[in-house]
Amino acid sequence: MITAEWKPIEEMVGYLRGHKKVLLVGCATCVAECAAGGEREVETLAPLLAMAMQNDGNPIEITTATLERQCEPEFVATIADRAAAADAIVSISCGIGMQLMADTHADTPLYPGVNTTSLSIREEPGLWTSRCAACGDCVLGVTFGLCPVARCAKSLMNGPCGGTRENGMCEINEDTPCIWRLIVERATARGQVESLVEVKPPKDWSNSPAGGPKRMLREDLRS
Amino acid sequence: MSLKAGTKLEKVLAAGEFALTAEVGPPRGPDAEVVLKKAEILKGLADGYNVTDNQTAVVRMSSIAGSKLLLDAGLEPVAQMTCRDRNRIAMQSDLLGAAALGLKNILAISGDHQSAGGSGKLKGHPGAKGVFDVDSIQLLSILKGMRDEGVQAGGDSLSSKPAFFIGAAWTPLGPPIEFRVLRLAKKVAAGADFIQTQAVYDVKAFAEQLAKAVDMGLTKKTAILPGIIVPRSAGMLRYMHNNVPGVTVPDQLIARMTDAADPAAEGLKVTVELIEQVRELTGVKGVHLQAIEAEELLPDIIKQAGLSPRPEV
Amino acid sequence: MDSFQPEITLLYCRQCLAQGVKPVEGRRAGEGFSARLVMLPCSSKVQLPHLMRLIEAGSDALQIAACPEKACQHLVGSNRAENRVAYGQDLLAQVGMGAERLGLEREAGLSLDDLLRMAGRRAEAVRALGPNPMKGV
Repeated sequence: MITAEWKPIEEMVGYLRGHKKVLLVGCATCVAECAAGGEREVETLAPLLAMAMQNDGNPIEITTATLERQCEPEFVATIADRAAAADAIVSISCGIGMQLMADTHADTPLYPGVNTTSLSIREEPGLWTSRCAACGDCVLGVTFGLCPVARCAKSLMNGPCGGTRENGMCEINEDTPCIWRLIVERATARGQVESLVEVKPPKDWSNSPAGGPKRMLREDLRS
Repeated sequence: MSLKAGTKLEKVLAAGEFALTAEVGPPRGPDAEVVLKKAEILKGLADGYNVTDNQTAVVRMSSIAGSKLLLDAGLEPVAQMTCRDRNRIAMQSDLLGAAALGLKNILAISGDHQSAGGSGKLKGHPGAKGVFDVDSIQLLSILKGMRDEGVQAGGDSLSSKPAFFIGAAWTPLGPPIEFRVLRLAKKVAAGADFIQTQAVYDVKAFAEQLAKAVDMGLTKKTAILPGIIVPRSAGMLRYMHNNVPGVTVPDQLIARMTDAADPAAEGLKVTVELIEQVRELTGVKGVHLQAIEAEELLPDIIKQAGLSPRPEV
Repeated sequence: MDSFQPEITLLYCRQCLAQGVKPVEGRRAGEGFSARLVMLPCSSKVQLPHLMRLIEAGSDALQIAACPEKACQHLVGSNRAENRVAYGQDLLAQVGMGAERLGLEREAGLSLDDLLRMAGRRAEAVRALGPNPMKGV
C-alpha cells in the first residue's frame, strides 16, 4: 500500500500555533493499513495534539473524522460542515487525499500530519518494507520477481555492486537485504543465472515520476 | 592489436609489462596546490594516477579538474566517474569535455550512496538526491559506444570519436561469491579494458576468484590490477575487515600488525609483500596502489617492491 | 505539591486477580491518592486512543496490570499491551505530559489491596510531575 508515517509532533505544533479550531482527518484505506492515518491513529493523535498545544500555551479545539477514502470526492463531501467550522485542517491520509481535501476546502489551510514515503508491503506486524518505485517500466519479469528499482539503494539494473555485506545485507542499511543477492539466489535456484549475464541497457525513466507529472487518460472510461 | 587511446597505462599493459597505478585524493576545496604537491611526490612513479570522484559521497574537487591538473603537471590521470551524481546527459557531456582536455583513462564505478557522506566528523550531504540514472556497467557501454561507434547513449552521433582507455572496478569477494566472476564478465563484455579491484589482503581468496576469471578467458580481454591499500595499523585492518564490504583481512595479518613494534613500518613491509604475492598470480597484469591521504608513503614502497623505474614504452 | 492527590485510572486484566477474588470497578481511596478501577478481559484490550483520551480527560496517570510473561491466556496479549504502553509513554513525553503518566506492571494472584498498592506506586511516580495540565480544559 501507499505508506506514510507521522511527522514529528513538534512540527505539527509549529504549524498549528495561531489556529484555534482544528479538524483532524484520516483515511481508512492505505494509511490505515500502515497504522499511520486510520481511525485508531486519528483518535490517538487528536488527544495528543490537544495536549501538545495546551502545553505549548496555544490551546486548540480539535474535531476528528476518518473517511473511507480521502481521495474520493463523495467521501470528502460528507465532512463539509466540519471542515467549514475549522480554521485549520490536518490530514493524515497520503498526499493524494490531502490534496483533494485542500482542493475541496480551498479556503481553509491544510497541513500534512504525515509524510507519505513509499509503496510498501507489510512483511510482518509492525514492519513495512518498500516494494515498488512506480518507475513505469516494470522489469520484474527479468529480475525473478524482485524489484531492483525500489529495493536497491542505487537502483542497479546490473547489480550487485561491491557493497553487499558478508551477511548478504546492503552496505547502506544493514537491515535491508541486498536485493541483487536475492535475485541471484532465485535465479540460481531456477538454474537461470545465465540470464543475468546479459547486460541490461539504461532504463527509460520517462514514464516514472522523474518524467514529469503523470496524466493517464482512458478515453473508453470517460463519461 | 592497435591501441585504443595510447595512454602510458595502455602501452605498458600492451607491452606485457607489469603496470602500476596509484591513487590521488583531491582536496575538499579549490586548492590546486594540494593536487600539485601530490603530483610532485608521485611524478614518474606510476603509469596512471586515479583521481577519485567525490569518494564516499564527500564533496571534493572534481575528478576531471583534478585529472587535468595532473595531466598538466606531467602525470597521466585515470579520471573516475560514479553513477551517483550525474545522469547520462551530464556523464557524456563531462566525458566529451574530459576527452577535449586530453584525459583518456576513465574508470566507471557505481559510487558510494549519498548517505555515506555524513560519517565520522563530516556532515556530507545525506539528503542529496542520488541520481543513479545508469549503473556502472551501463556507463561502460556508454563509454564504449562513444569511443568505438562515435554515438551517444541515445543514438545521436558525436562529431568525432573520443579515445578512451576504459576501466572498471571489481569486488571479487563478497556475496553472492559465485556471481562476482559473472559480473566481471559483464563488465568486460560492456567494454572494460582494465580492472582495478577492491583492496586485497587475503591473497588466497583473491587467487581463487582470479582463477575463475582466467578459466572464463576474461584475463585475455581485460587487464586485472588488484588493489593494494597500505595498512597503517591493526585497527585500520580490523575496521576494514568488519566494515568495508568485500574486504577480507586474514587473522594472521591483523595479529602481525598488532604485534609489530612499529606498525607503520610493518605496514610498508606488508604492502611490498602483497604486491610481490599478487604479482605471482596468473592473470594479474599490474597493481593499483592506494595510501589514503598518505601519498608520501608510496615512493618508498614502489622502490622496495621493485616497481621502479617504470618501463619506457 | 502536598495537596496533590493523584487520580489514577487502573486498568487491570481480570486474570491478574487471585482465585476467588471478586472483580471490582469504580473509585477507591488510597493513602494520598485515589484510584478508579477498570476491569479488562485481557490487558491487550488497551489501545492507544483509550489511553490518550483518558489522559486528555484529566486522569493524572494510568496504570495497567497485565499477566506475567507466558501466562497470558491470549498468548501474546500482555506483550501487545506492553508494546503499546511503551509507545504511549514516548508519545506522552513528546507532548510534554511526561512518560511517567503511563505504566504497566505484570502481576498475578492479586487482591483488591494489591491493585490499590499498584495504583499507589503509580501515584508516587507522578507526584513530581504535578496535576494533569488538561484538568478542567
